[in-house]
Amino acid sequence: MKVTLRFFARFRELLGTDIIVEPHDGTRLADLVAEVAQKNTDGYAAIFDEQGAFREFVILMRNKKRVETAEAGTITVTDGDEIAVFPPVAGG
Amino acid sequence: MVFRVQKEDVDIGALIEAAKRPGTGAVVLFDGIVRDDDITEMELEAYAEVAVAEMEKIATAAMEQFRLLHVDIIHRIGRLAVGENILIIVVSAGHRPDAYAGSRYIIEEIKKSVPVWKKELTKDGGRWVPGEHGHGSAIL
Repeated sequence: MKVTLRFFARFRELLGTDIIVEPHDGTRLADLVAEVAQKNTDGYAAIFDEQGAFREFVILMRNKKRVETAEAGTITVTDGDEIAVFPPVAGG
Repeated sequence: MVFRVQKEDVDIGALIEAAKRPGTGAVVLFDGIVRDDDITEMELEAYAEVAVAEMEKIATAAMEQFRLLHVDIIHRIGRLAVGENILIIVVSAGHRPDAYAGSRYIIEEIKKSVPVWKKELTKDGGRWVPGEHGHGSAIL
């Protein structure tokens, strides 16, 4: 299966965006984000704390719908998913 | 009504004319502008599909709550110079209290929930503008 990861703002600068990955069946959303983020130490540290948990301000979306970071460890990704990871919005 | 995330600037005069629907007694324009905070330029990016959907949702809520007749929201992205337009909100209503209140509601909601980010570019590099609303905000 294929899943697209989209990082925005500072996370995009550190990790890139529109990253297509091919996780195995049953991969958890949190594990997938962590695996991709680990390619850059600063990128990982921007999103995850020292215990490997999502930092409090990180916002996650799956197929354009908000997912609580606390639940990302129990949600499995499926083929065609678009996962977005971003810091607090700052438009206007 | 227009809800867009785009690089191009906007013809504000044309938007104001289009906002004059039957029954309009007031049009309020909000124009957010790149301020000269000792920066060279500002760079904006958006999760465009989600941003536009969220703008529409905010506009629908504002129309109901403040009896607005028309709403346009255009948020620009890309590199903008000091003095350029960032965000245009045009609302019309029968009376000025609703037009002012509706416009104010829309900008405050945009700041809470529309996925757009700004980076201030300076001679020494750049800095991301911190979001005012962290985890647990009313986003989406």
